[in-house]
Amino acid sequence: MIHARTRSTARLALAPLAAACALMAAPALMLGSSAMAADQESEQSEVKTLPAPSKDWFFIRANFNIDGSAIHDTSGKMMGLIDTSRRSDLAIDPAGKAYYVSETIWSKGNRGTRQDMLSVYDSATLKLQAEIPLPGRLIIGAQLNNFVITEDGKSAYVFDFNPAGMVHVVDLAKRKVAKTVDLPGCAGLMPVKGGLVSLCSDGSLATLDLASPKAGAVTRSTPFFAATADPIYDAFNYSISRKEAVFLSYTGLVYTAKIGATSTVAAPFSIQQAAGLRAGETKPLDINWYPGGFQPQAWHQASNHLYVLMHMGEFWSQKAPASEVWDLDLTTKKVVKRFALPDPVVNIAVTQTATPKLMVTGFKQDGYIIDPKTWDEPKKVHHAGSGIIQVVEP
Amino acid sequence: MKLFNADSATEKFLRRFAGGTSRRGMLARVGTALVAAPVFPLLPVSRAGAAKPDRSPEAKTAFARNAQTKDENACDYWRYCAIDGSLCTCCGGGIHSCPAGAEPSPVSWVGTCINPDDGKAYMIAYRDCCGKPMCNQCECDNTDRETQLYVPQLNNNIIWCFGTQSMEYHCSTAVMVGPA
Repeated sequence: MIHARTRSTARLALAPLAAACALMAAPALMLGSSAMAADQESEQSEVKTLPAPSKDWFFIRANFNIDGSAIHDTSGKMMGLIDTSRRSDLAIDPAGKAYYVSETIWSKGNRGTRQDMLSVYDSATLKLQAEIPLPGRLIIGAQLNNFVITEDGKSAYVFDFNPAGMVHVVDLAKRKVAKTVDLPGCAGLMPVKGGLVSLCSDGSLATLDLASPKAGAVTRSTPFFAATADPIYDAFNYSISRKEAVFLSYTGLVYTAKIGATSTVAAPFSIQQAAGLRAGETKPLDINWYPGGFQPQAWHQASNHLYVLMHMGEFWSQKAPASEVWDLDLTTKKVVKRFALPDPVVNIAVTQTATPKLMVTGFKQDGYIIDPKTWDEPKKVHHAGSGIIQVVEP
Repeated sequence: MKLFNADSATEKFLRRFAGGTSRRGMLARVGTALVAAPVFPLLPVSRAGAAKPDRSPEAKTAFARNAQTKDENACDYWRYCAIDGSLCTCCGGGIHSCPAGAEPSPVSWVGTCINPDDGKAYMIAYRDCCGKPMCNQCECDNTDRETQLYVPQLNNNIIWCFGTQSMEYHCSTAVMVGPA
């Protein structure tokens, strides 16, 4: 009985529902007939391609645990996504024909056989072209200076740590590892003719010979910074064409250097003093403005301006998110602008164009594009990513 | 050719030494040394290692001034002065224990942290637990005396899952090594 009554009640309830559906369907049919009248052609799925890497693009890493580097232009428009797996490093072919990804994967996802490789992607189609096996690489999450391409585009240098430091030299034409050379106590790779220069724990710059019969020989500069008392960020800026670098220490000392077989470093100066404030100190309880973040500096090479993420705090707050960007003119050694950020950020990059644009990202995943000429309201790029940002070198 | 005879040389030396000393004379010299010993620290010799470290609030980092000893699940727990990652205490593990199924790394980065209860500094080994996906609980990033990649033992960005079956990072522990 209970079942029969339920069925008849259901029938009664369905009657008005059917009427409502009929009423709703009528306009839909009318719309359908008008759409048909437009005589639209059927479509086929297709795949877009990209132009060569542009100096107006930012390559933004999603975050520590998420794959992918999103390409955004300076308007914020997303152009595509490079398959950078978790904790991989990205490098851009100077000829613009390929993107290189130094990565580590396991045969069964998060377990199984470890596989280190340099993956080559076509820059137009973003399709995988080759996988070059590597003997290993440091797994740390995306870094700026652990995977670099030489100026002629023929070789890649991959930093490895197992836990002893070394560099794998990859012949990109032959698509194989050419040699592995020890680099103990140093990190950060700056390619120069016939080798590379690296920052070292004794406070020096080491030049590693990779070309001559004496490959592996290391020569060191005079120590110029205190690696444990006031370290220099390993996310430094290096111009491969100018062979110049800009280093920044935790207290806010700015060093400029000529990089080569014999590197020379100019006397440092304080970014805080360049802004008319007192210099940063290492002692506790000294509240001041300090640099901070994961990628705290961006150097626009043509104008010689350094953009630095700054926060208020004490020493040993080197990863703290920034509340301001400081525009430091390296030629006059003056901070010419302090700009308050809409959100705390930890990464900054600048396009190497005549009219540069800044991109900043923070833990909220959103990015901001800033025009350092006008310092107008930043343009928000939703879900841009929270990882490091790379640009095409001039 | 005459070779050096160590046995013979030692015997000659000991006989000459015994001939020139007496038990009483020896005791007298040892006694003099014992009496004079307390005087030596007063001499103006550089004893940098003997200086007591300054543990006043003015000498402590911001982390050390605010650290606590009760809650191991909080980022301000005193041992976490240079930790980076998910706290294993929040992931089913402990302060020096990996959660089930994870494997502790035999190597680590280190920190020197001050225990606010006794005011002493201790060396802490931050050993990653490996072989499982990231725990994503209680993420902390403390940076006392944390440096960059060129001083790897003091860098907390590196995934320290060396010598483990898998380098997949799960969480981080803070293992007491001893007084710093």
